[in-house]
Amino acid sequence: MAFSPVITHEAASSIKVTATKAKSLAVRTNSTSQNEALSEAKSGGQELAERLNQETKDKYVKDKKLGEGTYAIVYLGHLKADPSSLVAIKKIKVNTEYRDGLSMDAIREVKYLQELSHPNIIALHAVFSSKNQNLNLVLEFLPLGDLEILIKDSEGIRYGTAEVKAWMGMLGRAVWFCHENFVLHRDIKPNNLLIAADGEVKLADFGLARSFADPYRPMTSQVITRWYRPPELLFGARYYSGAVDVWSMGTVFAELILRVPFLPGNTDLHQLELICNAIGTPTEENWPGISKLDGYVKFDKAITVPIRGKDFYLSRFGTAGPVGVDLLMSMLALDPRKRCTARQMLEHKWWMTEPQPTAKEDLPKKSGGLEKMGDDLKRRGGEIEDGRGDKVARKLNFGAAK
Amino acid sequence: MPVLTEDDIYRTSTQYRLWSFTRESLSSLRSTTNQSAAEGVRAALKSIHSQQTAGESEGQRSHDEVTRPTNYLKEVDCLSVEEELKLVGFYCVKTMQFADFCEFPTNVKATAVQYLKRFYLSNSPMTYHPKEMMPSAIFLATKTENHYTSLNSFVAKLQKITAEDVIAPEFLLTQGLRFTFDVRHPHRGLEGGFMELLALARGKENSVPGNTRSPGQLQQAMMELEPAKGGSKITRSAEDVVRRIQTAHGKAKDVLKTAALLTDAYFLYTSSQIWMSSLYLTDEPLARFYINSKLPSPSPIQPRLFIILKSCADLLRSSPSADPGEAEMKELMKIDKKLYKCRNPEKIDLVGINKAQKREGHEDGLDDKLIKKRKLERQKSEKEAEDIFGPALEIK
Repeated sequence: MAFSPVITHEAASSIKVTATKAKSLAVRTNSTSQNEALSEAKSGGQELAERLNQETKDKYVKDKKLGEGTYAIVYLGHLKADPSSLVAIKKIKVNTEYRDGLSMDAIREVKYLQELSHPNIIALHAVFSSKNQNLNLVLEFLPLGDLEILIKDSEGIRYGTAEVKAWMGMLGRAVWFCHENFVLHRDIKPNNLLIAADGEVKLADFGLARSFADPYRPMTSQVITRWYRPPELLFGARYYSGAVDVWSMGTVFAELILRVPFLPGNTDLHQLELICNAIGTPTEENWPGISKLDGYVKFDKAITVPIRGKDFYLSRFGTAGPVGVDLLMSMLALDPRKRCTARQMLEHKWWMTEPQPTAKEDLPKKSGGLEKMGDDLKRRGGEIEDGRGDKVARKLNFGAAK
Repeated sequence: MPVLTEDDIYRTSTQYRLWSFTRESLSSLRSTTNQSAAEGVRAALKSIHSQQTAGESEGQRSHDEVTRPTNYLKEVDCLSVEEELKLVGFYCVKTMQFADFCEFPTNVKATAVQYLKRFYLSNSPMTYHPKEMMPSAIFLATKTENHYTSLNSFVAKLQKITAEDVIAPEFLLTQGLRFTFDVRHPHRGLEGGFMELLALARGKENSVPGNTRSPGQLQQAMMELEPAKGGSKITRSAEDVVRRIQTAHGKAKDVLKTAALLTDAYFLYTSSQIWMSSLYLTDEPLARFYINSKLPSPSPIQPRLFIILKSCADLLRSSPSADPGEAEMKELMKIDKKLYKCRNPEKIDLVGINKAQKREGHEDGLDDKLIKKRKLERQKSEKEAEDIFGPALEIK
């Protein structure tokens, strides 16, 4: 059992933001006496919270604009005290149509990034508000684009199983850490996997994330970008687990090998058809209880595809090797209860088989990622960029999202 | 790579990094906040006073300014830290009642209360009245706890509170919360602990490293536990033990829903310490047994843990009532009356301030006439709003 000793704080200094967090450790430690608890106010007049906000704001300088979307504007910035220490500043736009105050996307993103400190999750260094009440997120600077641009550039970028293993390992650790903290990401896809200067992959965009629901409390099924969405959500499941993220990881794994999206459905129904063809038709036999899901679609017996066997996978994903294919198959199990967990994924014997994952410094890189970061961060959760699947962006139905 | 423990993860949480204190640091923070708010009130009154004197010479005194006594400057009597605490505590109770009225789940209610408590560590009721912050805190909690209700339907549940009243303080609130929205509650831990206790009572396996007792032995030991304080006879059958656990569960749950929220427990203890203290408070022998089953003695941690649980249980026992009596209400009325005279006049019009801030950086402000007009309108509706939840402080 975890036992937390009495909290004894050293003399509190005001907020301390270290631009580069120790990445060698599994989590950010407080060894540098990084005590951020409220310190005593010195000046009268301006309130403490206001003053702290000002102090945070004054630490950073906004440089050029990297990208602008309907949801946010992303700037390149740096620490005032150290111009060489770069950050990305994501300014969340006040949505004029949304009159309910701070938007759910912004709240989710800030809430979870404030809590999750892990080398494979984008670091949120600070949050401050500017004068007209815009929220500014100071994020880790990740200049090398995302996995999507590496996957797509099949001419210029070559990689093999060792690289795929390295990337999947980093993704797996990020998702495991989220689940360990009872957080579902709910939007895992290649362009939410950003790449740091040292090659480290960082999971970003927590705009659709939420904590695990209490038992018997329903969640919305309208999450995860369609191509990466698991069958239970397509069938409208309201009670689900970290298995939804594992499915997404499985589709990313397949995409890394194929170098094209694995299941690029045009509609929800088409998405289900693709899943049936590639993996097998979900039935009461292979997925007990499935017919009770709200959005369950019964498929014609005549076109029922049996669950694909290992040979089928080997023919498409043979480069991952038989052990890699085992892992892929367990990540893409139709029945979420039979799907492996993020932890089981990390404990899979694939990681112990040859080849070893490529060291992050030696992973393929592509320049021009700066603008890509701007593009990636300005997006709202659940969106696919134009041209990559038209109008598949889903809006969260908040009324049903309880 | 170091081993990652639950403690390590907890220490990365904002609840630990930003919202955990020692008793000393907590009280010193509160008195600093109180002092600087009092300074702010005096400075603001002073500036109004000088404006007023200037206005007098021009013969432009407004009705509002006339009502203020001219010699109040010297004797403006500000709230003490204790008075502030009582007032905020009262609005925490109100928050709970309101959340219950809306049938919001426990996590929304508990989070909203903690938002208020956190906000008032760095803000004083003299600057921002808790009555105005409360709807905003509840609404924000519905968003952060995945129980989003549209602002319109939220406002429909409130009488005489407009959407603007709910949204205007939200920015101040999030700033006061230092943009951290996650609150770690003890409720889920309590449920887990009680499931474990029930399994033990039913003689099911208990595989804790270092535990040498068999499930049967543990079950037997449970039947032989001395009764809880106030409990009558020594329990005998496994079913008796199950009933005992269920009773303790119900009581502990109540403690978490009231005392744990209304005291400083969240600032001073971790969520697991709080739920175990709630068990300790309701059935000490059971709590000792549970911890023994987890940390078989001799364990260096155990005695330290019991000291913490006892001090937290004492704190929970000292909680103000979730249903203030007549005497308490009388005192609260007195504090609120006092507050009426020592409120920072510059911060009363939250809707106006909010609008002005949003405007900043766009165009320059509206002309003075409009501002004055709006201010008057606000003051009028302020007065009307006094009885949103009954006049000023009345509860029923």
